[in-house]
Amino acid sequence: MSATSVETAATKERVSLRDRLANPWGRPRFLAIVTWVYIIWSLVPVLLAIRFAFNSGRSRTSLQGWSLRWFWQDPTLSVFHDPTLQSALTHSLELALIVMAIATPLGTALALGMRRWIGPGSGIANIVLLLPLVTPELVFAVGMFLLFTTAFGFIGLGTTAQAIGQVTFTLSWVVLIVRGRLATIGRDVEEAAADLGAPPLHVVGRVLLPLLVPAMAASLLVSFALSIDDFVVSQYLASGADTTTVPMRIYSQARGGPTPALNALATIMLGFTLFALALAYFVYQMMTRGETKESAVKTLAMEMG
Amino acid sequence: MSEGDIRLVGLVKRFGDAVAVNGIDLHVTPGEFFTMLGPSGCGKTTTLRLIAGFERPTEGKILLDGNDMSRTPPHKRRVNTVFQSYALFPHKSVYDNVAFGLRYQRVTKAEVKRRVGEAMALVRLEEFGQRRPSQLSGGQQQRVALARALVLEPPVLLLDEPLGALDARLRIDLQVELKRIQEQLEVTFIYVTHDQDEALTMSDRVAVMRAGNIEQCDEPRVLYETPATAFVANFLGASNLVPVAVGQSHGDGTPLSLGSFDLRAENCPLGHGEDAVAMIRPENVRLEPHGTTGENRVPGMVEEVVYLGFHQEVRVRLANGTLVKVDVPNDDEQAELEQGDPVCVHLPARHLRVLAADAAVPSAPAAEEPVVAA
Repeated sequence: MSATSVETAATKERVSLRDRLANPWGRPRFLAIVTWVYIIWSLVPVLLAIRFAFNSGRSRTSLQGWSLRWFWQDPTLSVFHDPTLQSALTHSLELALIVMAIATPLGTALALGMRRWIGPGSGIANIVLLLPLVTPELVFAVGMFLLFTTAFGFIGLGTTAQAIGQVTFTLSWVVLIVRGRLATIGRDVEEAAADLGAPPLHVVGRVLLPLLVPAMAASLLVSFALSIDDFVVSQYLASGADTTTVPMRIYSQARGGPTPALNALATIMLGFTLFALALAYFVYQMMTRGETKESAVKTLAMEMG
Repeated sequence: MSEGDIRLVGLVKRFGDAVAVNGIDLHVTPGEFFTMLGPSGCGKTTTLRLIAGFERPTEGKILLDGNDMSRTPPHKRRVNTVFQSYALFPHKSVYDNVAFGLRYQRVTKAEVKRRVGEAMALVRLEEFGQRRPSQLSGGQQQRVALARALVLEPPVLLLDEPLGALDARLRIDLQVELKRIQEQLEVTFIYVTHDQDEALTMSDRVAVMRAGNIEQCDEPRVLYETPATAFVANFLGASNLVPVAVGQSHGDGTPLSLGSFDLRAENCPLGHGEDAVAMIRPENVRLEPHGTTGENRVPGMVEEVVYLGFHQEVRVRLANGTLVKVDVPNDDEQAELEQGDPVCVHLPARHLRVLAADAAVPSAPAAEEPVVAA
């Protein structure tokens, strides 16, 4: 965008083509172009899907005007009125809330524990804890399926199994995020708190946890996003129609008579995710007010990615 | 003044195979400004952390006013620490930082307010109570850390290189301030630093540490003027360490030989024939016109003159090849010296200190030092 203003200024001075293409002091235009091409490329499918959610016709391939028909206006086929879509949406959100509520505190506790635990086995535990990040999800899901149909048969398939499955792999992310933040907090503040008379529980409660709030907000967001996005584990551990999540519903309906209501459903999910992201960012800004911008952005970037 | 007596008895700390503190015995008296000085890795910080309770000693005792506290967790020890990194709580205001520890002392709200106010006044930060630590400069943050520890009225305050992260000017200001506060409160300070100037200016006593042991422990003046070992002489201030051979002592001092030159030292703790270095501070060496004769005079040639503002450092290569640094004040009385000038170096007998040679401490560089072309 700003590159154009530079160009208009430059044309007045008749800059040679060679200088324009490879001027080491100029803006890195080539890099900017590559970046923008990538951003547009990755956004186009999403924007298209959203566009068809607002289609007034039945088609998901040709544009037929704008309407909110597929959200709630259609009396039978809209997300709001189709019971299968509605239940998928509520089940997905319900599952995401359960996973958030369990994975974040549990992962935070694990990260705190791992920090304290120095000794034989701690190194291996550190690696094993992060293993789910790289394990193929299908392998993990098949294993979980076997577990809940045999050894843990008393739990059985269904919402509980889905929640446990999702918590299990989400936990690794939470530990990773919280540990990153703990590393930036450093051990000094803990020692300082103890030195000033705070017993171990107070060190955690009065110093560590408040400082971990941003990381926990990021963890909540990540567990929400992972849960809502999860297909493989939810699919394997589902027990029937009432445990169908949004991705499962979209996948199964994609074959038989899909309507733009699926796009509407996906759009709603995207809306929730964006809202969660905005909320997490806001909380992070609030809680790291005292720290320098630079370090806050750095930790957020580290924690998000 | 009876509180704040720290005694370390045979204190040992090992991390696996590495020995950080190798059996330290130390007695710090109430109200003393005591400094542990040494290069990095000498065990000074570990010793401080043992006293604070962040580490558990492998062996030995730590007595505070006669009670062994080596098995007491840090939050129950009546000592407080000021960290090099300040370690302020970034999510709390300056006021809440200072008030943090008072919660664990049974005091009323009004009392908390009064004591926090006093502590902030002590470090001259009355105006800053509602700020966040990140809104303060480094020096101000360290003063908050100091107030946060002192508000608890500990009998002993531990300071772990508290000025290490500050720039030179601020460091000097805060040195003066620390000394003022320490004298005003009569609290025992145990101060860890690798900065010899800090150690010399502030301390009542300094322990010079090396490889987990105390090399020498005494008043700054004693350490500087009569170092017990070559290591102490080298670490504390500038010094010339000249390798010499010790002769047979007689009533009037000890003869030393520096190459083919004969010297005399008034005091010599070493016996005949031992490996020794003669230590002399650059400010005690006298430069005299070439050809001057007399005791302890060695001819040499000026190799380099370094201008340092209020004085200049003249490096003289003695006739036997040893390099000696001489401090010459810039007071118009000295003749201008230039590279290549022949001079006579006077090493006064009463300033020559004979110390045992130490392989790990480099003595005055011999002729292989790069010589600037004349």
